Amino acid sequence: MNADLEKLQESNKTELERRGSIFNIGAPATEAVTIRDQIAVGFGDGTVRFFQSGSDPKTVKAHKGVVLSMTNYEDHVLTGGDDGRFLKISSDGNIDEIFNFGSKWVDCVASHKDTKVCSSGKTVYIWTKNKDKPQTLEHQSTVAGLAFDNKGKRLAVSRYGGVTVWKLNNNKWTASNFTWKGSHGTVTFSPDTKYIVTAMQENQIHGWRINDKADLAMRGYPSKIKSFTWVGDTPYLVTSGSSDAVCWPFDGKEGPMGRKPIVVANGGKELATFVKALNGEKAVFTGFTDGSVLLAEIDESKKPIMIRSSTGSEVSTIAISSDNSQILIGDMKGSILLSSLWADN
Amino acid sequence: MENTSQVPVTVLTGFLGAGKTTLLNRILTEQHGRKYAVIVNEFGEQGIDNDLVVDADEEVFEMNNGCICCTVRGDLIRILSGLMKRADKLDAIIVETTGLADPAPVAQTFFVDQDVADRTKLDAIVTVADAVHLSSQLVDHHEAEEQIAFADVILLNKVELVEDNDIVKVNDRIRKINPFAKIIKTTRCDAPLDEIVGLNAFSLDRVLDIEPDFLESDHDHEHDDDVTSLSFVSDTPLDMDKFQDWFGNLLRTKGQDILRSKGILNFKGEEERYVFQGVHMLMDASPMGPWPKGKDRSSRVVFIGRDLDNMNLKEGFENCKSA
Repeated sequence: MNADLEKLQESNKTELERRGSIFNIGAPATEAVTIRDQIAVGFGDGTVRFFQSGSDPKTVKAHKGVVLSMTNYEDHVLTGGDDGRFLKISSDGNIDEIFNFGSKWVDCVASHKDTKVCSSGKTVYIWTKNKDKPQTLEHQSTVAGLAFDNKGKRLAVSRYGGVTVWKLNNNKWTASNFTWKGSHGTVTFSPDTKYIVTAMQENQIHGWRINDKADLAMRGYPSKIKSFTWVGDTPYLVTSGSSDAVCWPFDGKEGPMGRKPIVVANGGKELATFVKALNGEKAVFTGFTDGSVLLAEIDESKKPIMIRSSTGSEVSTIAISSDNSQILIGDMKGSILLSSLWADN
Repeated sequence: MENTSQVPVTVLTGFLGAGKTTLLNRILTEQHGRKYAVIVNEFGEQGIDNDLVVDADEEVFEMNNGCICCTVRGDLIRILSGLMKRADKLDAIIVETTGLADPAPVAQTFFVDQDVADRTKLDAIVTVADAVHLSSQLVDHHEAEEQIAFADVILLNKVELVEDNDIVKVNDRIRKINPFAKIIKTTRCDAPLDEIVGLNAFSLDRVLDIEPDFLESDHDHEHDDDVTSLSFVSDTPLDMDKFQDWFGNLLRTKGQDILRSKGILNFKGEEERYVFQGVHMLMDASPMGPWPKGKDRSSRVVFIGRDLDNMNLKEGFENCKSA
């Protein structure tokens, strides 16, 4: 590369790229979760790598194929792979195989305190403390998303035709069905646990107010919504799938019913592929199809800040360390940016 | 659908006992030097020669997009998107469908799901047919008819068990349903793999190759629900607006009965050839370069479906001719 071009590229870098570290892993980054001061990332080559500021990542060869799903569990991560294995992994590389489903994929994982959950096919498997055998919950079609509410008393399971919300009472799970035609993917409870929301196969998200099962249809996206995140005290549900981060207000009795979303972080002709809240702030990181990432306040009058410039590969994950000091951005080509969020760090 | 980084997907259909498993075993055990992922239903075999076997349950989902016959394979969307996250690149993906499956939802998945369409492309629908039993299966099971109707390639298998004149009869029966599929006669599915995988049959420029192999036949003795095909040719240029009105309306109202459609169109005032191909109500269309010099600029359309005689197709097509 000639010197001028190099200089030009250097000047196009963002502040975070200049002070951060870039790792090229060579396999798509599929999932990222935070464990204390480390960020664990799952990749398409089956590895889980633990990133920490100031040192090289520690690599754990976890799965044979793709790390399909990941969540944190105490000081560990739980992962599901296309090799049929459900694993508990510690950052020093200890792998504990919780279950092996053989040729069936482990599509989704979830946890709450000492409860470990995964799905394979139409069945959800729940391991509670001190029990070797899992409880199983059956569904009419393949499970596409799992989410606990903040108390761990309810587990939402998304599937074709809606969501089953399982409630734990006296060690028994009872089902309540939330129905909406179509195929439902990723699922989330609102922080106040009054709503559940899913990303659908169609270009829309769907929500239900839990107490009366009232439907909320949030449409108008140009592409599928692959990511959402709860932001601020209102709170806003911020979603990918459009050229902006689309922020739906969930305050008041009616939530977003009959209201327009706020749109921030315009990506021009690029579509948002991943969104992540900045903890404790009314602000969101939005990653786009070209690899760029913007930080924006949920305020249409404010200008977003460019956090990462284009890499040519869509942003597939963003994680923030638990003390809000570090950000990790990963894309489908396996390029990882790890950087401190604040200049004096 | 023309991006070279898209992984080609071959859909393997065939009625129960036709020989699909024999073909899958060949794909998984032959030293082909390529990396395939094979998506199967309860196959129970492991891949050797570094092939990947993925277990799936066929899950047909309806789409909420206002298209009444639009169903997709939900499991396929999930599995293909998972396979696309792999670090190693696959040369091809092969999807086995169960013996009684309708091929339409599989094909429609590639038209409807943007992520699937961005990263993979439908390569061809390959149907294994049992030369001994096909004729009776076509009478008893509409699924067998659909599998023949949708095919780009038909392996007419077990020909060693059938007399020559019976093979001609089965061949003719297939041709009546599907005039453009390539028919390969096989014993134990012994066709070369490069005539099955990597065909690019759904690429729009391949529509230009269609030379439907029609049989002269009277329609008298057919039932309304038999799958048949009709083809029309016009040397008079077509009016683009008229054609779009007619064809759009036809797919909207009769798309459930039209299984596949293909065509090359010569529009008045347009230098380029237009090609289209459709699966039920969904369609892919594009200009495809200028007409070759010295060749006739004739428009050709082919329909495969049920109850085609009651759709006024000939009249509709004739009305699209420019004044």
